[in-house]
Amino acid sequence: MRFIYKYLGLAMVLGTLVACESEFLEPVPESAISSLGYFSNDEEIETGVIGMYDAIQGINSTDLDDNRGVQLEYYLTEMRSDNTRTKSQEGEAAQFEEFTVSTANGIVNNYYKSFYNIIYRANLVLANLGNASDAKAAQFEGEAKFVRAYAYFNLVRLYGDIPLVDGLIGPLDNETAFTRVATTSIYELIVSDLEFAANSLSNGEKFRASKAAAEALLAKVHLTLGNYTDAQVLCENVMSYGFTLEPNFNDIFYNEGNNEIIFAIAYNPGIESDSQDFSAEFMNGVGRTVGVNYVTDEAIAALDEFGGDRTQYSYRVDPSQPTQTQVVKYLPNGEDGGADGKTFSTDATLSGNDWIVIRYADVLLMHAEAILAGGQETSAAAALASFQQVRDRAGLTTPVTSITKTDLLTERRVELAFENHRLFDLIRFGVAQEVLSAFSTANGYGFTATDLLLPIPQNEINLSKGLMSQNPGY
Amino acid sequence: MRNFKNNIKKYMLAGLALIGLTACDFEYDIAEEGSLADLTPPTASFSASQSEVDFLQYSFANQSNSATTYAWDFGDGNTSSEVDPVNIFPSEGTFTVSLTASDALGATSTFSMDVTVVEPEEPEAITPVVLEADFEDLSLPDGTGDGRDSWRNDFGGVIQITSSPVQSGSQAAKFPSAGDRIAYQSDIAVTPNTDYVLTYYYTLKTSNPGTITLSVIGGGISDLSELDGAKLADFVGDDQTSANDYVKVDLPFNTGANASIAILITNQGEEARLDNISIEPVAN
Repeated sequence: MRFIYKYLGLAMVLGTLVACESEFLEPVPESAISSLGYFSNDEEIETGVIGMYDAIQGINSTDLDDNRGVQLEYYLTEMRSDNTRTKSQEGEAAQFEEFTVSTANGIVNNYYKSFYNIIYRANLVLANLGNASDAKAAQFEGEAKFVRAYAYFNLVRLYGDIPLVDGLIGPLDNETAFTRVATTSIYELIVSDLEFAANSLSNGEKFRASKAAAEALLAKVHLTLGNYTDAQVLCENVMSYGFTLEPNFNDIFYNEGNNEIIFAIAYNPGIESDSQDFSAEFMNGVGRTVGVNYVTDEAIAALDEFGGDRTQYSYRVDPSQPTQTQVVKYLPNGEDGGADGKTFSTDATLSGNDWIVIRYADVLLMHAEAILAGGQETSAAAALASFQQVRDRAGLTTPVTSITKTDLLTERRVELAFENHRLFDLIRFGVAQEVLSAFSTANGYGFTATDLLLPIPQNEINLSKGLMSQNPGY
Repeated sequence: MRNFKNNIKKYMLAGLALIGLTACDFEYDIAEEGSLADLTPPTASFSASQSEVDFLQYSFANQSNSATTYAWDFGDGNTSSEVDPVNIFPSEGTFTVSLTASDALGATSTFSMDVTVVEPEEPEAITPVVLEADFEDLSLPDGTGDGRDSWRNDFGGVIQITSSPVQSGSQAAKFPSAGDRIAYQSDIAVTPNTDYVLTYYYTLKTSNPGTITLSVIGGGISDLSELDGAKLADFVGDDQTSANDYVKVDLPFNTGANASIAILITNQGEEARLDNISIEPVAN
């Protein structure tokens, strides 16, 4: 009997100890939400899903310590191509147009961190799918995999071999966080993620992932990898879903959510937490960072010669500095800034213009590219039909009887100018070294072939304690 | 005076000693002791890409690390010291291109790669191969086959073989009037987005109204319900002028986004025969 009391006493002590561990030493905070114990049902997981898009949207700020998300992307893409440059050719921003990007460039670091944060948030959703209802789990998984693939596709094209993080990792897992993995393995994850997303998602959404968005993005991935028939099939799927070109080119950018949009990042004006400032940055004198993504003479010449109706809606002479030329696809909240081009009735630095990631004209031109299949010329009727649709909308209605690779690249340049396609197009078409060398020589810049990849941010290399190597040329 | 002379000797000796010491110090300064090794020696690397305008012209993309000067040898007698040079080779052939990358400390690294210069051929459309296209015995590539082995499927009964009338050779396919026999062959390789013409011959008996339909399918199907969605072209043969004379059909189609096609043949109403299928790309 006494023994029983002893055991009971011991059991009580043990019980107390156990209770101490779970309740006193690891309390679940009551005044704030943490990821511990959260994501327990559909509603909570959906907030995690929204969080992924929020990470792409980025923080509207002039501080490079804040993840700026897609808001900084034009520096790494358009300004690193022959389309745009800074107005005054100075500072960290001018390193892109001059092809002298430093390993310590804060914008390069910010984009890298931002896009790995997107991947983290997608992995967070994927890790909690077990708590989702059967009805919602496939949709959440499809959205998370779409977003993860979108982020990896941009990162792998910008930085080359990069760490492959396909699950949640702890702060001490340096091996995963800093081991550079060959691009082929990154592309395997991108393709399998997008195939899953295309199968599990339906159509209807424009500001969240959809089947069409997954198929269109996968088509671009296959074009990049040279899998032309796969790309063509995917484009033809998207072409069967009822998207149309906006009759007026300008409406693509100012009639938000129009029928040409397949996937866009939404912003709302006036709210610091939900707006963007790239619209102001493309202007002159309306905020702290301005006068970037100004149009090069080369882009002006291409638009003037090949743009048709699109030219007037793509650039304008800066009203307060007539020797300079601005992008007008994203005028702050649709306002033109009056006579001096910088007087706005709303706060231009809190703009609500959406960022369009995929639109139907891109898919039509990808369709022609898939049929061209790496060749020099095609006169296949299906390619001509898609190509002609894009040109007809621009008022260039003379029937096209054959398309060369150069025609297609030029058409993409003037149709999608300043939408962050040009650099990737040049690389995908295999002409980046040739075109950018000539551009660099003409402007006295310092292009070499290694500039086609950005440096891995020095910050990451330092943190990696020797695990990460730098790209050649830096 | 002697003192003075002695003193001079002393000073001279002291001076010589000092010179000696100084010289010794110089030797120690030059020695390797205390200097650092070249921790970042160069690594040479490059890739090459052929021009699309002139196949003899190659652009080189320098992928070297930690180097400041470059010496290229293109293996054809040409050299360059540019970072990303362009070279025009004299002719087709294999050239060993080597790049020696050096840093300012004189450390070097050499990387070589064979570049095979070949004029790219105009890609020609595949001429598709239809197995047992004339329904003859022993006509498979390995010399076996009963004339219809390549046409068996789960959609319907196996077709029959007739020896009269035939369009050529000694056998043709026969589809009894019940319409329950189906011929199907898939995995016929084609070039995507290319115009082809499929040619075949058919004849129908004349007692009852009937038809024989040949469909060209993009990719393949696993169920007959998928036919309408996958069909590239079809032709419904209904010429019943003669039970013995074959009618020639030229069926044009474009392969679209398909690297392979399938052929499906069905009939209804009356006994039908079909012979000699061939597919040719349309010359541009």
